[in-house]
Amino acid sequence: MNVGQLFKDFFAKNGIGLGTFLLVAVLFWVVILIVLPQLSMLDFSFRHHLPPPEMGGPKDTYTIEHYKYLVLGAPGADTSYNVVDLGVFGRTLLAALFVTILDLLLCYPLAYYLGQSRGGGAIRILVLLLIIPYWINEILRAFAFRIIFGESGLINEMMLAMGLISNPVDFIRANVALYAGLGYAYILLMIFPIYNVIESLDRNQIEAARDMGAPWWRIHWRIVIPYAKPGISSGCTMVFMLSAGALAAPQILGGPSSLWFTQIIYQWFNTGGNWPRGAAFAIVLLVTCIIIVLSMMRLFKVKIGDIGK
Amino acid sequence: MTKGVDVDLENVWIRFGDFVAVREANVNIKGGEFFSFLGPSGCGKTTILRSVSGFLEPSEGNVRIGGRDMAGIGPNKRPTALIFQNLALFPLMKIWENITFSMEVKGASKAERRKRADELLDMIALPDQGEKLPSELSGGQKQRVAIARALCAEPDVLLLDEPLSALDLKLRQHMRTELREIQQRVGITFIYITHDQGEALTMSDNVAVMRAGIIDQIGSGHTVYNDPATPFVASFVGENNVFRGKVKSIDGDMALVSTNRTGELLARIATTVQGSLKVGDPAMMFVRPEALNIAPDISSAPNRFAAMVKHEEFEGQIYNVFLEGSEGKEIKMSLVNIGKERQSAEGMNLTLEYVPEQAIVLPAGELASE
Amino acid sequence: MKTNNILLKFILAAYLVVFFGYLLGPLVVMSITAFNSPSFPKLTPWECLTFEWFDVLAHDERILNGIENSLIIGIGTVILSVIMGLAGALMLTQIWPKLRATYYTIVIAPILIPGVVLGISTLVFWDRISIMLGMSSGGILHNGIFLTILGQSTFIASYCMLVFIARLQRFDTGLTEAALDLGATQVQAFRKILLPFMKPAIGSAAVLAFLASFENYNTTTFTFGKFPTLTIELAQKVRYGINPSISALAFIIIVLTILGALAHEIYRRRQQLALANGAPVAAVSGGFQLPKIFRGNPAAIILVLLTLGGASTLWFAQSYSPDVCKMDVREQKRLIQEERIKAIREKRQLELQQKQHQGPDVFGGSKSAAPATQSPGKGAFGNVFDPGNLDKSGPGAVKPQEPTKSPGKGAFGDVFAPQNLDKAAPKED
Repeated sequence: MNVGQLFKDFFAKNGIGLGTFLLVAVLFWVVILIVLPQLSMLDFSFRHHLPPPEMGGPKDTYTIEHYKYLVLGAPGADTSYNVVDLGVFGRTLLAALFVTILDLLLCYPLAYYLGQSRGGGAIRILVLLLIIPYWINEILRAFAFRIIFGESGLINEMMLAMGLISNPVDFIRANVALYAGLGYAYILLMIFPIYNVIESLDRNQIEAARDMGAPWWRIHWRIVIPYAKPGISSGCTMVFMLSAGALAAPQILGGPSSLWFTQIIYQWFNTGGNWPRGAAFAIVLLVTCIIIVLSMMRLFKVKIGDIGK
Repeated sequence: MTKGVDVDLENVWIRFGDFVAVREANVNIKGGEFFSFLGPSGCGKTTILRSVSGFLEPSEGNVRIGGRDMAGIGPNKRPTALIFQNLALFPLMKIWENITFSMEVKGASKAERRKRADELLDMIALPDQGEKLPSELSGGQKQRVAIARALCAEPDVLLLDEPLSALDLKLRQHMRTELREIQQRVGITFIYITHDQGEALTMSDNVAVMRAGIIDQIGSGHTVYNDPATPFVASFVGENNVFRGKVKSIDGDMALVSTNRTGELLARIATTVQGSLKVGDPAMMFVRPEALNIAPDISSAPNRFAAMVKHEEFEGQIYNVFLEGSEGKEIKMSLVNIGKERQSAEGMNLTLEYVPEQAIVLPAGELASE
Repeated sequence: MKTNNILLKFILAAYLVVFFGYLLGPLVVMSITAFNSPSFPKLTPWECLTFEWFDVLAHDERILNGIENSLIIGIGTVILSVIMGLAGALMLTQIWPKLRATYYTIVIAPILIPGVVLGISTLVFWDRISIMLGMSSGGILHNGIFLTILGQSTFIASYCMLVFIARLQRFDTGLTEAALDLGATQVQAFRKILLPFMKPAIGSAAVLAFLASFENYNTTTFTFGKFPTLTIELAQKVRYGINPSISALAFIIIVLTILGALAHEIYRRRQQLALANGAPVAAVSGGFQLPKIFRGNPAAIILVLLTLGGASTLWFAQSYSPDVCKMDVREQKRLIQEERIKAIREKRQLELQQKQHQGPDVFGGSKSAAPATQSPGKGAFGNVFDPGNLDKSGPGAVKPQEPTKSPGKGAFGDVFAPQNLDKAAPKED
């Protein structure tokens, strides 16, 4: 079958008007909104930082200076590597991983409980309770954690009142607020993929295993977790990507000394005013995240089609 | 209502990639006829129907409806209406809206549509059900709505894709009669797809029996049943006992077949192979269970053979006797229950006989799988 | 076995409490701070019940402007995302099988791409396009609303597409064929068969898209230009100084969300009930059968209670004035100050006396000062938790209202009602 035939069939099936509409809408989305901007950003990240009039001029050549900057730092710096930015980058990924694991541990039991209890009004209410916080603005959710963890926040005041501590603990500086806030923000994205998969698990399998005398941890290890793997990896992927790419929570809840990598990117675009450098950093973040996710999926043998179910 | 028109398939081939779904189909369906395509699932009968309705174009050959070539004409422009296997009633539309959908898309006024819907609802004996949704009707009622919806489009040809398969046995039998009645009343061409030979035989004027993309035989139900053209037709349409062997001698339209276990058997050569069947050809002899009888004596004759009774089944009006046959297949004999005491018992050796004209000889070929 | 079971149940209950405490606690705390009078949002110490923060909110130009921008962008994003998501989902069912996996990966990728990257790439791409076309920097391609809609739609369309795919999987393509067979054109079949079937999914995709657009920060922060959305404004406020008016906004959003969720739940139950009875939905929802819904439907009861609660709160807000309480608190603070001053004065006097009579005695002076400083503290503490404080709000109802207060309250009521309707409307479809 050649391409012409494909198009002919497509228009025969949909009619000219509808077929054109479908094609235009999808091409607009895929090409203009998804592919070209990413390519353009990639291209841009290899350009010099020039004022607009000089763009396209003789000075507008390709360069890897921005990537070099991320690895080696500014020319003439006293350290041979860009310790600050690389450190932030590494810490961001580690923290995102930490948040992912935290969410997984927190959510798996509930997802299992919800998935295995058959319907019922109480379960519906629980599910609603799960969804409601997700509908509240991200900023407001982070703000709530600031009220709780702030220096004169709820926890400090309570602990002071109870006499547990004599001076307020700086949760913000210790990043406790940040991890709690990030973990909170993405709970739903962890629970629902796992819940959806576990819901389809035949209850008899668990009962059969129990019948054969398997202890609960073995039932989970050998039956539930292998079955729920697509859901687990889907949830982990989303939580990891979103935590690593989070901006609001680190800005609001992050301590003054610990930056998130996205904040550095943000700075290059706003206060720093060096767009190509910001684009280069964004590319690094994107590529790294994709590599991590793909290797995780390879490791756990999950397909991309399982994401977003 | 519109008079039915002819539907012709001329040398139609339909391929999906390398797979040939329909091979060289040549069919002439007369206007006003009830025509069935009969075959096991996957034989290509639905593919043929879809090529008539316009959902796919033949890779080769022509489809003509009323003499007009249908190439390049979409399903919405053809004078056909299709009743889908799952009926495909629009679940979000009321019954009357469903029925008059074909008028709605042509821009008919609501009053006009209501009037027509009421007429058709009366015809299918479902008055006052127009305001309901399809989900509120029973299986048989939905069935009738689907027919009314198709008829409302005033097609020249009505195509039915196994529409009764979802119904239970009783309803299915009832709907057979009803469909036939409707067809005779409206007088348009019906093309019916089924894998149920009972449906095909009871309703059709003519039947095309299909196997793996090939039309084996076209003829009236009577012809297809009594004078099959291939071993496949013989074994697919109704039940048949098959005896393998070689043609020993031919005398006019009768042939003597020598079989391994049951000796030499006499049978009529199928009409389509008369003249082409030669002495020495590998052959198959078919005799229907109801054509077999217990011989009055045990003397041998070319229309008799002996076999041992394995078990019996009593069905009421008939009882079936299963005897040991060759190649592990049982021979089935159906005897009419006339109130007499049974003459057979398990383990008994019986001599069976048949009328040689009721048995058929065909060149050896592919049988229908059970 | 039995004890094991009880233990297990206990652990489960404890886990559920901790989990939902984590989930809902912050929202509850934040909501409560909206009613506390200190100008920094805090739960403790509780000073006065107040509604002034709603008033502050209703007069905050930046917030109102942000809401307006968010609404415009939200509507644009909904339209664009729903159209693209629907087309994307339909295309998935038709695309050449060999291309399908690649296509799916591309259209699902925006969900996984960090929001900042999407924002940056949108900004960079259209900036370069506009340079290429030689447009001025004030052109449409630099317009914050235009860029934000495009940037958000890039990934929100993927969410919509997932909703549509799920619905399309249950669509019988035979229905479209049946329509064509009955003489409909492709467009008619699409409009009369597929579109009505997709309507519930379009409704939920639109709601999802609007919420996602409304709360988006990561992408918008790069693209908003001169049109900051509500979320951007909130982030600015939260980062550079906050007062409880944000809590008040959060409280409104939370209440609206709960109402929306409950309305949805009731609608769903009603449909289920209708399905179970085999009767059309219209028959069940009609008139006198309604009370039946309340039976076995806690969500409906909660909704009714919430509405009543909301209404009474509104009424209370209209009539209640926290001024008495605030004066009290001020009075308490003043008293504390006064007592302190008095104590210091007394101490000095004592010291002076002691110096005069007995000579310097440091211990005696501090002894007599201690009870003096403590007693006003007790008073303040007692007053805050004294229910009498609340009772004092009673006379407040009789008191004539300040003229400045009532328009603010009205605005608050206005904000409540239309949004509530807007939110419920697409779901009821």
